[in-house]
Amino acid sequence: MIAGYEHFAALARRLQWDEAAIDLRPDADAWPGVDPQRRARLLALLAGFCVGETSVAEELGPFGDAAGDPNAVACFRAQEGDERRHAAFFDRVVADVAGVPGHDERERLAAVRGLLPADFLELFEQRLPAVARDLGAGRTGLERAVGLYHMVLEGVVFTAGQFAVLELLEDAPELTGIREGVELVLRDERWHVGFGTRCLQDADLGPGALEAVVREGTAAARVWSDVVGDAVADRVVAMLHRRLSAVRPRRETVH
Amino acid sequence: MADEGGLWICELCGYVYDPAEGDADGGIAPGAKFQEIPDNWSCPVCGARKDDFSPLDD
Repeated sequence: MIAGYEHFAALARRLQWDEAAIDLRPDADAWPGVDPQRRARLLALLAGFCVGETSVAEELGPFGDAAGDPNAVACFRAQEGDERRHAAFFDRVVADVAGVPGHDERERLAAVRGLLPADFLELFEQRLPAVARDLGAGRTGLERAVGLYHMVLEGVVFTAGQFAVLELLEDAPELTGIREGVELVLRDERWHVGFGTRCLQDADLGPGALEAVVREGTAAARVWSDVVGDAVADRVVAMLHRRLSAVRPRRETVH
Repeated sequence: MADEGGLWICELCGYVYDPAEGDADGGIAPGAKFQEIPDNWSCPVCGARKDDFSPLDD
């Protein structure tokens, strides 16, 4: 079973952090000396987070509008703030550490999106906006949107990317600011995913709907292409299976 | 001191371990107290470590 919305609302209030307070100067100094192949993979992952976090921050509004429980609404609003903070952090990294050119976030996004596979861009720039539009227009339910956002995009794509970044940083310990920020982002994502899991538990999805989420998540684990290794992709898919088993069947509520 | 047979919550994602249910996919049989779970077990929802759990107070 999963904690209730009140628990997540309190957790969200407690886990606030300031992306501007993370010191990226050591990372900027060390970046030119990082192994070129490692640097290229890191930059592709950072590009994915710039595009992905910006998209989820922009598309989360209808989720809160569709939630009935006031604590669930508060959780969705808190998540919006988290995603904006994550997008701002990754923009700082590509600008101040990797030296991506651009006068503002939009220009830097345009500069890095070329590093990403078409399937990745389709997921965040077309599929998520389409589901958010359908949710806002009442053409789809909150559980369908949460299945995509929390289970697939956060629970699979972002988690795989975060694991891959942390794996790369094991051999680049001088990139201390990136590590600190990614670990804080990962901590936020864990409560987001727990909250989404609780939403799905309350939606009481049937086996067919849960299986559809698994299929979508399994495909999404590969959208990073070879930037994320097979072992990490397989690991996040296994986590998705286990997570969805935790909401099946419906269980007693804990507030 | 927490009741050894009680509920434990993952501080990171809100998953609640209930000894009455165990965690079948994680290899934990119903009836297993939290303290009896192996140290390499992980949270079924977020993958956190056993150390990230704390007793759930009512």
